[in-house]
Amino acid sequence: MAKKEKYLTGLFGLENLHEIEVYLQNGGYEAAKKAVKSMKPEEILKEVKAANLRGRGGAGFPAGVKWGFVPPTADKPKYLCVNADEGEPGTFKDKYIMSHNPHLLLEGIIITSYCVGIHQAFIYIRGEYEMIARRLEKAIDEAKTKGFLGKNIFGSQFALEVVVHRGAGAYICGEETALLESLEGKRGHPRLKPPFPASVGLFQCPTVINNVETIANVPFIIARGAEWFTQMGLPQDGGTRIFGVSGPVKKPGIYELPLGTSLRELIFNHAGGMLEGKELKAVIPGGMSAPILTADEIDISLDFESLKNAGSMLGSGAVIVIDKETSMLDVLQVVTKFYAHESCGQCTPCRVGVSWINKIVQRMAAGQGSPEDLETISRLASAIMGKTLCPLGDAAAMPILGIVEKFKDELLAQMGH
Amino acid sequence: MTSLSPETRKKITELTGKYPQKQAALLPVLHLIQNEIGYIPAEAEIWVAELLGLQPVRVKEVITFYTMFLEKPIGRYHLQVCTNLSCTLAGARNILSYLMNKLGIKPGETTADGRFTLTTVECLGACEHAPCMMVNFDYYEHLTPEKIDKILDGLE
Amino acid sequence: MVKITIDGQQVEVKEGLTILKAAESIGIEIPHLCFHPAFPPEGSCRLCLVEIEGRPKLELACSTIVQEGMNIYTQSERVREARQVVLELLLAEHPPDCPICDKAGDCHLQDYYEEHGLFDSHFWENKERRAKKVPLGKNLILDRERCILCTRCVRFLKEITRTGELGVFQRGIHSEIDYFPGQPVNNNYSGNLAELCPVGAITDKDFRFQTRSWFLVSKPTICPHCSRACSIYIDFHPGFPRIELDKYVYRLRARENPEINDYWICDFGRYNYSYLEKNRVVSVLVNRDGQLQEDEWDKQIELLGKKLKELYLKKRTNRIGVILHSALTNEELYLAKKIFREDLPEVNLYLIDPPEGKGDNWLLTSSRTPNLKGMELIGLNPQKFPPENGFNELEMMIIFAYHPLGDGHYAQLKSVLEEVPFSVLFTAHQTTLMNQVTVVLPALLLAEKEGSVINVEGKLQQFKAALHPPGNAHSEGEALLAIGRNLGINFSFYRNMRSTADILGKLSQDISFFEGQSD
Repeated sequence: MAKKEKYLTGLFGLENLHEIEVYLQNGGYEAAKKAVKSMKPEEILKEVKAANLRGRGGAGFPAGVKWGFVPPTADKPKYLCVNADEGEPGTFKDKYIMSHNPHLLLEGIIITSYCVGIHQAFIYIRGEYEMIARRLEKAIDEAKTKGFLGKNIFGSQFALEVVVHRGAGAYICGEETALLESLEGKRGHPRLKPPFPASVGLFQCPTVINNVETIANVPFIIARGAEWFTQMGLPQDGGTRIFGVSGPVKKPGIYELPLGTSLRELIFNHAGGMLEGKELKAVIPGGMSAPILTADEIDISLDFESLKNAGSMLGSGAVIVIDKETSMLDVLQVVTKFYAHESCGQCTPCRVGVSWINKIVQRMAAGQGSPEDLETISRLASAIMGKTLCPLGDAAAMPILGIVEKFKDELLAQMGH
Repeated sequence: MTSLSPETRKKITELTGKYPQKQAALLPVLHLIQNEIGYIPAEAEIWVAELLGLQPVRVKEVITFYTMFLEKPIGRYHLQVCTNLSCTLAGARNILSYLMNKLGIKPGETTADGRFTLTTVECLGACEHAPCMMVNFDYYEHLTPEKIDKILDGLE
Repeated sequence: MVKITIDGQQVEVKEGLTILKAAESIGIEIPHLCFHPAFPPEGSCRLCLVEIEGRPKLELACSTIVQEGMNIYTQSERVREARQVVLELLLAEHPPDCPICDKAGDCHLQDYYEEHGLFDSHFWENKERRAKKVPLGKNLILDRERCILCTRCVRFLKEITRTGELGVFQRGIHSEIDYFPGQPVNNNYSGNLAELCPVGAITDKDFRFQTRSWFLVSKPTICPHCSRACSIYIDFHPGFPRIELDKYVYRLRARENPEINDYWICDFGRYNYSYLEKNRVVSVLVNRDGQLQEDEWDKQIELLGKKLKELYLKKRTNRIGVILHSALTNEELYLAKKIFREDLPEVNLYLIDPPEGKGDNWLLTSSRTPNLKGMELIGLNPQKFPPENGFNELEMMIIFAYHPLGDGHYAQLKSVLEEVPFSVLFTAHQTTLMNQVTVVLPALLLAEKEGSVINVEGKLQQFKAALHPPGNAHSEGEALLAIGRNLGINFSFYRNMRSTADILGKLSQDISFFEGQSD
């Protein structure tokens, strides 16, 4: 693969990068200025489509295609929702973008909104990121003062307002339609699709929803061009990803690497390998909802297709490393507890199914399990899949199935069989 | 809602004007109220409902859905210990036990002096610095028993 | 129209229909719980999942719109499995309350398990324990263990009554239906929730533990308590051979009528059914020596007819007073018009209807009688009672009493009746007025009659008798038919009148409103 460049995180070490003067000194807002003053919205869309910028929240849907779904009609306002809910366990990358370089995000928002014809954008940020929300609000004020937000941006006719909107502790609100419901002041219940948010979204108006990292890529695509973007990473999967590594490794943290980097390289080269005395047993490659890989499966390219073919997913790029001393029953218990806690409760399979599995696993963890329980869990997890109103059902079922299938012997041993 | 400060009231009024539909201001308004009072009292539920043109039941539906909103007062410092995967791998259970023993309370309970409330929460997005906890809105990471002692000493 | 295939059957259905509705239109039933035709699809129970060729996942029948060329399977292996999964999960957290649950026999969960489930239970965990007797207002009780969170109740109150009392609190498996403290469900349509709930989570206090639904016979009729004349069912217990029950009618239910009341009825009408059985007059009574003595129907009707004929021949029909009410059927009112306006000249006609009440902004009208419009359209034009110019000397008074005759008019009537030598009271319920008249003839209530009424919006409804007449009671229509015939003033009209259908047929020829109504 071609050039390896840390364009997103390269400046993170700069002191006070979150202040607009520092950001401007380092080329900040040039791309937005270029977009708003000298490009037409169609040109921007063309560029983003040509770059094939895929969503970095988990689903990997091409952003340009998503923007293109928004109807050109002018009878209703259009909205942009930046998904900063970052609830997928193991994920912490967006936190870095927003706290170290909030203006990068704002610049991406300006270009995206200008392209789609949006005049009000919301950053839906998880409630726990209160400090980061305050930093974003400060950055917005700074940008407004400079004339980069508000009316007549960069002296043009384009107007845009950005509002920081806090969530309040619900993983499900990272799902795009639940996010919309939450933003509208309701319970975070996902909506039926169709209709899709591009036609019926926030306040029933056409809406684009993108992850923080996805939007953060936009200024670079505009500044350097789609071709530059596609030359990094893999064909059809350009640019970098900010991978997160956590667990018993020497250097847990974020690592910006091109798509196509191998999982082994990420863990053992960049994250420093296992802690002293720890041996690798398993890896969750894309946030908790990505099915687990065993230690022999880590020679795999970190990209959408490869992981999908291996029965897992790239997801949010959050790699969780598990060592040999960790009990897989403990892992399973943490996983089922999480999804049971976060299920919104709307649809039968998730509400009852995930809770039922959790009850069985908690019983197993308390020493009252039996081999039949593993069969039941697998049966239930398979039964839930594909039947739920939103992807949380699958997100719960697949990891559970993965752990039970790949670590059956260990689980049985831990239950005394 | 006479107990709300004028600054909070001002912020609330500003908020209701930021959204095309008033109901959208619900979560931000609830945050403002809870940040000041420490929880959301029943009378506030009714007050917010009227402010935003909603029925009180719609407000209560929202409050009970979201983990962060509280309907009852808690201690001055809300110790929210992450018990999700990366933190568990880093020893979160020991951290939790340590806190339980040190404070003499179980998750969900408050110390008798009203200083600390202990709860377990799901992933806080600080997995690279596990194990971690959130105290009110502040993140404390790389927790060890010694660090915890220091942190708690600093919280009056 | 679009051409689709359902279970191998090629059909043409209306454009824009959901798969559920399209299947229904050709007689294929797809099981569903959270869907109700009165609201937009919710999609949360997941029971209606069907297989569509070319689509990898199963799709919801309740919300997916049919498209040209769609090939749908509602009975494939995958679909059957999906239904079993949903049922198994619902039952896993559902208490085995059937033996004590009112909904048994009416329960969607039972019915669907019977048809689509029939699996063994594999649930060994502890079910969620929840409150089992939460009052939801003055009429309803919620059992949270039985609740399947279909949210029909929440949506009914949000979208139909727009009062929004109920909501879903908490999250995940802990979700529960509740209301804001101090703001329970006390609107005039609360009873619909017990019907709407597909399981026994919401039960009606009025029906709770009274009987079993499979003992009940359901007959259609209309509600007589206001001018909306909503379509209803009366559910009654025909009785056991050797055990006496202290009740006959156990409940009223809404009957679907897209023209008038959709799927709903109001509480005022729903809970008001004891009048059907309480205090009924079941025998013909004659006042002799200050005592009411039983007598015969045919005899008294004949006597009445004779007295009327007498006054007719003596040209003193202006000494006849007749008090009507608007809970009579169109057919009865028409006969009354024939006799008291056409056959007998100058009869004094008065109207005593139940006093008006408070209407609401939906079904309940302020007028408390079902056929006011019929009275108007048939053209009887009675005077209001008491008349402004007082009474002429009356030799006969015939009173058709609405039920039960209010005391408000009683005083007036008493003083009038004291001056009248011969009076007849048609009444379904006992009233103190019975001691003031000469003859009491037991009448029937609308539920026991066959006929038609016209509601406040001008919609005509025909109905057959739902309940048997008690004792020796007869409909006013039967009496009027006999009287008219016996009067012998207008042979040709009465010659061919044998049933209410005949009368309605004649009505539709005579009065333009009724044109085309008799088929």
